[in-house]
Formats: sequence, C-alpha cells, structure tokens
Amino acid sequence: MMERVMDTVTEENRKDKLNKERMEKIDFKMVTFSLGGKDYGIDIMKVKEISKADRFTYVPNTAPFVKGVYNLRGEIISIIDLRIMFHLPAEKKKEGVPENIIILRLDEYLIGVVVDTIDKVVGISSETIQPTPSLFGDINIKYIKGVVNHEGRLYILLDVDRILGAEREEVRKEIDTPLLKRIEEKVEAQDNHHAVDFSFIIDTLATFKKFTVNSINETWVRKRFDEWKSDRAYKGEDFQLKDPTEAEEYLSAFYSPYTGKFWAEEYCKAFESFLPEMTGGAFHVWNAGCGNGYETYSLAVLLKSRYPGSMVKIWAHDNDLLNISNAPNLLVNPEEVPEKYRSFLVEGKNGYQFSQAIKDSILFEYHDLLHQSSFPEVDIIVARDIVSFLNPSEQEKVFSEFMDKLKPGGLLFLGQNEVLNLEGWEMVDRGTMKAYKKEV
Amino acid sequence: MRVEYINPFVESAFNVLREVLNSDIQRGELYLKSTSQPVLGVAAIVGLAGDVEGRVLFDMSKPTAIGIASAMNGEELKSLDDLAKATITELANMITAQAVTKLHELGFKFDLTPPAIFTGDNMEITDSKVEALIVPVILPQGKVEINVAVRERA
Repeated sequence: MMERVMDTVTEENRKDKLNKERMEKIDFKMVTFSLGGKDYGIDIMKVKEISKADRFTYVPNTAPFVKGVYNLRGEIISIIDLRIMFHLPAEKKKEGVPENIIILRLDEYLIGVVVDTIDKVVGISSETIQPTPSLFGDINIKYIKGVVNHEGRLYILLDVDRILGAEREEVRKEIDTPLLKRIEEKVEAQDNHHAVDFSFIIDTLATFKKFTVNSINETWVRKRFDEWKSDRAYKGEDFQLKDPTEAEEYLSAFYSPYTGKFWAEEYCKAFESFLPEMTGGAFHVWNAGCGNGYETYSLAVLLKSRYPGSMVKIWAHDNDLLNISNAPNLLVNPEEVPEKYRSFLVEGKNGYQFSQAIKDSILFEYHDLLHQSSFPEVDIIVARDIVSFLNPSEQEKVFSEFMDKLKPGGLLFLGQNEVLNLEGWEMVDRGTMKAYKKEV
Repeated sequence: MRVEYINPFVESAFNVLREVLNSDIQRGELYLKSTSQPVLGVAAIVGLAGDVEGRVLFDMSKPTAIGIASAMNGEELKSLDDLAKATITELANMITAQAVTKLHELGFKFDLTPPAIFTGDNMEITDSKVEALIVPVILPQGKVEINVAVRERA
C-alpha cells in the first residue's frame, strides 16, 4: 500500500520536473496585447516595432477595418484595426489620444495593426502552445495558431500571415481537399442489379438536370428511386430516365415546399421558430438562387413583421436572367396571396405590387453563385435546392463561401430534402424544418 | 449585378449602335463572367462612380474598330489613327452616357469618368473581384463585347 503511494508521488514529481523543463526551455517569444478585453499574442519575429500614433490618412473605398495610411519615418504603411476586422467592440478614443499600434513585418511589406492595449513580451516554450479549442466565437478559427497558458492567463496566439493574406494560397489549398465525396464508388462496389440501376439514375440526373447525387441528397434520391420504380412499373413503363422531362418528373418531389410561390402561414411559422430574438440593429439575409422572387418577398414580409424595429436587408441572387428580371417589379394578385402579405401591397398603375419599404429592403442581383460577391456578413443564408444542382467542386466552393459570409452562430437553410454533413455546421432540427448553424 | 441596371445598358448599346452605324445589329446571349479575359485588340473603358462603383468596357478587334470608325465618319479609314481612336472613345461615351441617363430616370445616380482607350496585342484584363455582365453585339463590321462590371458601394 505504502509503496503504491510512493509510486504516485514520484510519478507526480517526474511530471512536475518535466513541466519545469518545458517552462525553462524558452524558444518562442510573443508580444501580448488585448482586444475587446481578451488577451492575444503575436509571434515577436513578426513584430517590427510598437508605436503610438493617431490621425491616419483616410483612404476612400477600402474595407471598413482599414483605418488608413500612416507615415512611419518616411515609409507609408497601411493601418488596420483588428477589433473591427474581428467584429469586437472598439472603444472610441478621444480626439488627440493616440492609438496603440503594433507594426508587423510580413514578407515584403509593413503593416500596422491597432489594438486596445499592448501588454508585454512573454517568453514561452513552443511546446506549450496548445491547439485551438473550438470555443472562440469572436475570431474566425483559421486565424488562430493556438492558445498559450502563461502565469495563469490564457493568450490566443494569432496567425498574422493568415490574417493579413500572405498565406492565401495555402488556405485555398486546404479548401481544395474534397469534403464531400461522391457516392458512386460506394454504389458500384455493391455490384448487384439494383445498384447498377441506381448508378444509372445518378448519371442521367447529372446529364439532364446537372443534379449531383451525394451525401447531401442521397437519402431522398434512394427513397424516391424505390417509389419511382414501382410507380413506373404500375404504368407499364421503363423506370430509366430517357430525357430531361422525365428527369424533371423524377425530381418533381425534390423541391422544397412553396418553390416559386409565396410561403403560406404555417411554413412562415416554422421558419420563424429558428430566428433569434432581436430588437433594433440590422438583420442581413443572403437569398441565393431567389428565382422569380417569390421566396425573397416571402422572407422580406416575414422578417419585416418579425423585426419591425430593425433594418432588414436581403441580397437576392440568381443566375437565371429571365427569371430574376421580373422580380424587382413583381405584380401580385391580392386574391391569391395569403392574408399576411396583403397589408404590404400597394396598387400601382399595372396592378398590385409590394410597397416601397419592402422593395427597398431587397436587392435583386443577376449573379453567379460561383463568382465573387461583395456584400457584408449576413445573419442567415437561404439557399433552398441550389447546392444539389452544382458539381462537387462547386459545392465545396459554395459551402466555404457560405461559411465566410455567415456571422458566427448564423443559420444556413437548405432545401427540404437536402442534408448537410460537414465539419463546422451544426444541425438544428425542428421536425418540419432543418437549419444548419455555423459553429462558433 | 443589380437587375435594374442590366436593361438600360443593353438598350442604350442597341439604340446608339443602330443610330450611328445605320445598319442591322444582333444581340448575343447575355452571360456573367468573373475571371480574367483576353481583350480582342481595342478596348475602350468608362469608369462609373456614385451610388455604385464599376466600369464599362467595350472590347473589339482592330479591324472591327476601324470598320466602325469608318462607318461613323463616313470615310474609309486605313488604320487605327487618332481619328479612329477618338471615334471609338466617343462611341463608348455615347452608349454609357445614354445608359446612365436612363438609370437616372429610374432614380439611380451614376457619374462617368472620361473614356480611355487601350490598344495592343495579347492584352488581358484581370479584376476577379468584380463579376462582369457580358453583352455581345454582332455588327456587320464584327463583334463588340460590352463588359459591364458594377457593384453597390458597401
């Protein structure tokens, strides 16, 4: 008994010693500072100097986090505000009180970052840098190198190269690794009649409708396949899809409720149950693949009634020019719309349209989802039945774009029969409807 | 690109080209593009500012440019000389200005920058950050691609 106790004691001593050794071997120094009340660190090798300055020269048409440029002993450097970049609260400095600036040396250029207060230089052993736990909501996780515990304080170590763009290429490469696998291989491996028939369906859907069968919609496509087969057998027809019309018929049950129509009361209620409580402020929405605009107007009416005191703004995009052309001046027959919508209609010279307040909250744009877009971060993304019609590499691009554009904790709505099983997204299931929350 | 902007540009391109060339013109399919693109040989560019930011680019081959300039001046031009360049610049200005006037009537405020013209071989334009609407126009003199990249000010 005694022996065992001794054993544990020596074991603990050994651990302590190991820890001490680790602490002593200082091979990494970082400059620590605070942003929005939390402690952060930057590798000292990246820091050229620390200075105080104010009255930066404002440069028009730059991103909001760019404070301007500053003349550092004859060298012009740009100054960015990390608090704005990371959406942290920034205390307003009084006129004439200089800001604390860390001047960083990146590959070829200097850049100044504004922080709340600069603390000190801390030496640590690089072994004590811990991988990032996934709880930091304020800063996009890919910008964090790790977390360091020093004298009872936790420092978040920022990866400046990532933040300020020098390593853009590497980030992109990471995205390129396939996240969504096609299921074709899996299907062929089973090698029975049913599987061969099914893989034929997968191919024809891709050819006729550019519909990609993978983990996003596999469950539905399989279920539909059995249904379709018995249906066609009953009609005495071959179950294979011979032309786009048949492919469309196969997919007819795929589309979400109220596609191309105004959302009915109960669908709006289900949707509203996901929305956060909010008073005042702005509520931003990205409606990707808005088609002829019915979905967008439904969303606008729903959000305007839900958040009467807020500024609702919807970016509605589609790459079908004919469909979206009519959306901004959509004519509505008041007899045919659900009750809820009527108070938002006004009579014009060609018939009833939505009121200016509703129209002003929507920006319809002819835009391809795969191209660069320029709008601020949004609270929710509504992209029903869109991603299934993209090929796998396009899907990856779109999901990483969704990830970038969404605020932490924001919600992504996919189609009724689409399931997202991807790292970083947490499913919120409310029975009739599902949404995906961007993990923070 | 905002849907309301598309028609004014397409319409004014047609009106102006039909008027100045006095001939039959056809429209190609509109589409979106965001990668870098080769310039056919002559490119006239007009910048836009105001509620929006962006630019309109008129892209055509050298023979097409000479052909258009000859038709507009009513004389046979042999090369892309100063007169021909000035003519193409003016054409770009006329089309963009008419589009901006139409947009003004719809309540959007745009300003124009003076047009500039670029000529040369193997040129490429890269601004991958902006998505461009391509309006191809087929004239008896050849093809002109009108490349409109406009975005809302953030």
